[in-house]
Amino acid sequence: MNGLTRWRRKTTEPTEWAADPFERLQREINRLFDFDRWGWDETTGIFDRTISPPMDIVEKPDSIVVTCDLPGVDKKDLDISISGNVLTIKGEKKEEKEEKETQYYRKESWSGSFQRTVSLPNTVDADKVEAVMKDGVLRLTMPKKEEAKRKQIPVSVK
Amino acid sequence: MADKESTKNIKERKERRMTIQPLSNIYEEKGDVIVKVEMPGVSKNNIDISIDGQNLIISGQRESLESEGEFLLRERRIADYYKVFTLDETVDRDKIDATMENGVLTLKLQLKESVKPKKIEVKSS
Repeated sequence: MNGLTRWRRKTTEPTEWAADPFERLQREINRLFDFDRWGWDETTGIFDRTISPPMDIVEKPDSIVVTCDLPGVDKKDLDISISGNVLTIKGEKKEEKEEKETQYYRKESWSGSFQRTVSLPNTVDADKVEAVMKDGVLRLTMPKKEEAKRKQIPVSVK
Repeated sequence: MADKESTKNIKERKERRMTIQPLSNIYEEKGDVIVKVEMPGVSKNNIDISIDGQNLIISGQRESLESEGEFLLRERRIADYYKVFTLDETVDRDKIDATMENGVLTLKLQLKESVKPKKIEVKSS
């Protein structure tokens, strides 16, 4: 009888791999060519979210700049909120096709709703956040609160 | 349509900045072939689309990233976009329509009139 064992992802089971060498080769080739696609991970958990737009966070002396790639997302479908030091970007990327029965030849991108939550290092001034959407890139400039800014105290040498 | 590129293209590409392949969707709509290419950070002026023989070459230059400050998270790749599609003979090269919106390039390829299905009337004798 089996006790409770750790769940293992089936696709990486060694016995299954060895069963068909051609399938194994195919899989390795597929993985090789998919290497620079984000959001195409092999994660299969029910609650795993593979939709996660790539994001950069840069800390500057007096502000924090968040940039997020959101191609095809309309400005009005975005919902950005800050509570405390947690930034949440929610949105929906609508599917582009107009007709219901469209025949796809290739589909690499995703559509649907997405959400990203990040905690920010310094406390930012939520009232002064500036959000700009340009060419499918969201750029948030969040000025730091006065007390969080790096201060320079002049010391006079006597 | 398939991805294929000549050695000349590869050579030229290597001389430029590092490139990545953008994600693309291709589908048919109302008899036209629609190609959507996702290139966030590329403005209308920084995009270059050309046809070289059978190849449809799309390249887009991304705006440079933040120049000052410290990266706390870095997920976006520093690279320009480059993608080559092979066009077959059925595509009308003179009727390619390109639009850029929200970082997504849309190409509308029309098929040549000669390859479109024709209805043949049956005459009664």
